[in-house]
Amino acid sequence: MKKVWFCLFIVFLFVLSAGAVAAEEKPIKVGLQAPITGQWAYEGEMAKNSVEVALQMIQEQGGILGGRKIEIVVADDASNPRDSALAAQRLVSQRVAAVIGTYGSSVNEPAADIYEASKMIDIGYGSTAVKLTMAKERKYFFRTCGRDDTQGQFFSEYAVGTMKARRIAIMHDNTTFALGVAEEARKALQEYLDAGVAELVFYDAITPGEKDFTPILTKLRETNPDVWYFTGYFPEAGLLVRQGRELGIKCPFVGGNAAINEDFVKIAGIEYAKGCLMTQEPMPTDLDTPKAKRFLELYRQRHNTVPTSPWPVYAADALIALTWAIDKAGSTDTEAMLEVLRTGMEGCEGITGSIAFTERGDRKGIIYKMYVVTGEGDMVVYQP
Amino acid sequence: MSIILEQLLNGLTIGSFYALIALGYSMVYGVMKLINFAHGDLFALGSYLGYTLLVWSAGAVSQRFGLWGGMAAALLFAFFAVGCVGVLMERVAYRPVQKSGRLPLVVSALGVSIFLENLIMAVWGPRYQAYPASVVPTYTISLGWFHITSMQLFILILSFVLMLILYYVVQKTTFGAAIRATALDKEMATMLGIDVGKITLFIFFLGPALGGMAGVMNGMYYRQISFVMGWNYGLKAFTATILGGIGNIPAAMLGGLLLGLVEMFGAAYISSAWKDVFTFLILILILIFRPTGLIGEKVAEKV
Repeated sequence: MKKVWFCLFIVFLFVLSAGAVAAEEKPIKVGLQAPITGQWAYEGEMAKNSVEVALQMIQEQGGILGGRKIEIVVADDASNPRDSALAAQRLVSQRVAAVIGTYGSSVNEPAADIYEASKMIDIGYGSTAVKLTMAKERKYFFRTCGRDDTQGQFFSEYAVGTMKARRIAIMHDNTTFALGVAEEARKALQEYLDAGVAELVFYDAITPGEKDFTPILTKLRETNPDVWYFTGYFPEAGLLVRQGRELGIKCPFVGGNAAINEDFVKIAGIEYAKGCLMTQEPMPTDLDTPKAKRFLELYRQRHNTVPTSPWPVYAADALIALTWAIDKAGSTDTEAMLEVLRTGMEGCEGITGSIAFTERGDRKGIIYKMYVVTGEGDMVVYQP
Repeated sequence: MSIILEQLLNGLTIGSFYALIALGYSMVYGVMKLINFAHGDLFALGSYLGYTLLVWSAGAVSQRFGLWGGMAAALLFAFFAVGCVGVLMERVAYRPVQKSGRLPLVVSALGVSIFLENLIMAVWGPRYQAYPASVVPTYTISLGWFHITSMQLFILILSFVLMLILYYVVQKTTFGAAIRATALDKEMATMLGIDVGKITLFIFFLGPALGGMAGVMNGMYYRQISFVMGWNYGLKAFTATILGGIGNIPAAMLGGLLLGLVEMFGAAYISSAWKDVFTFLILILILIFRPTGLIGEKVAEKV
């Protein structure tokens, strides 16, 4: 009898150690879907760098599940919706534990549907379109960034309340993102329009990828606006400002949070970029959490620069949220992770502050700020 | 009134870019019966080469020769460098497959296009680049409500001079007659003692070189360049070529200018968001109703 017990004990030990070895050797795979190539390649590159830095920070603090390795699997969505679906399928078939991604809202949409169907958690980091969480219920979609309506509302309140503008012009580029911000700004403006304190004198779209906007800018000039809000992306924003100023449009320019970065300044030229305003989430360098400081320090060490837009940091936050969920859940079981993401995020500190989600999957407590481009081409918080 | 005039000038400016690129398409089509899909990327390459020369060691060229001198240097540099790339392209990618028919040629052209686009991305990076303000002359000439920038004036004058020279060379000189003869019938031209190899070489130098120069002008005008820009301009210029009538040099110029004007006025008076719709609507209409273009091949044959 004793012998049998002993044998069983030996077998038990074997099973245990085998399990332990397997657990140690097999890294947890986390997918990162990002625009590594295509028109937003620059954002994709920074997101990848940021996620890697966040991973280093997590490992510095002892890792998760007792030091199990984490491996980032990158899938390139080439900044367009078609490749996005392919990238999503690739990540699903590689059986990653969960996915971070992606940047553009219109690119994120087809991917989110695939993740939803495959029951895979997906945390967006730059996709701020309202409809991603509000148009239909997505159980597996979350985002660490804010939502367009907040930004649009912020603009309208600021323009009428603080800038005392009466004649307001809004321009977008028909992409899901830009149209979303513009629509939300218009909705928020409605109460001022009804009260008769403001007027929407211009509301129209440009074609993204174009270089010559003089026709539409000539039209804009005729409406004589007090403030001009463009909700699209920086390549067009830079050209719009330059061409608009050359046409003699003198009113303040306010860009949405994808409109202004250092490339915008290069394209517009510092003489025109100076004084341009922007509604956006705080830049990485304006974050003062302890994690943000460490993050920037590591990022500088590795890449000799800092992220020049707010988005990459949200990708890093997405990884932090995911690893938190895996650690709390004790495994990479999707349903267990979901439970943590919905209700167990108390104490999860990201780079942009504490991370928690609403039941729709939106990030709780996102703030926007008005930034201004200085004479040196830097972006600082605007103090009127 | 002044607004119409401004739009007219804007349309002509963008039209000159299309025209200069369209010339390359048309000339190459003339001698090789090939739509050179890599042509737009040669245009992008030109603007990157001009950019590199101008930002080289903190704008040394502009400081040494002045703003206009620096600009001339960049234009010439792009002209010759892209011209050489064009010749190389013909040797490496087109001549070896020329005898296998037109389809392999087109596939080869697409290959060169993808290669060039990715080469630019690999060398200069995926980020947008911008011609620095310090190397581009920027004066605005204003007459009351009417504005024209010095750059715009320069582009208009230079493109028209280039087109006039080219028109003269092709239509009035013996060498031009040889080019036209080659375009009409290669074998016959060979029999008449025309060195078709030399003509091809010349065409593959001049077409891309003009495109490269247009690239520098485009970069200076809009200041913003990206590695994907070639495709869009290539497609528009291709439309311009078809609009005028492919294989015919004056037709390419006309097509380019016309397309620029249509785009500009369509965007100004109908809708800016529909700009590309006008362009490609024209392409479709022309292909249905006048496949030979506005100035069809008949005019070319008449000479």
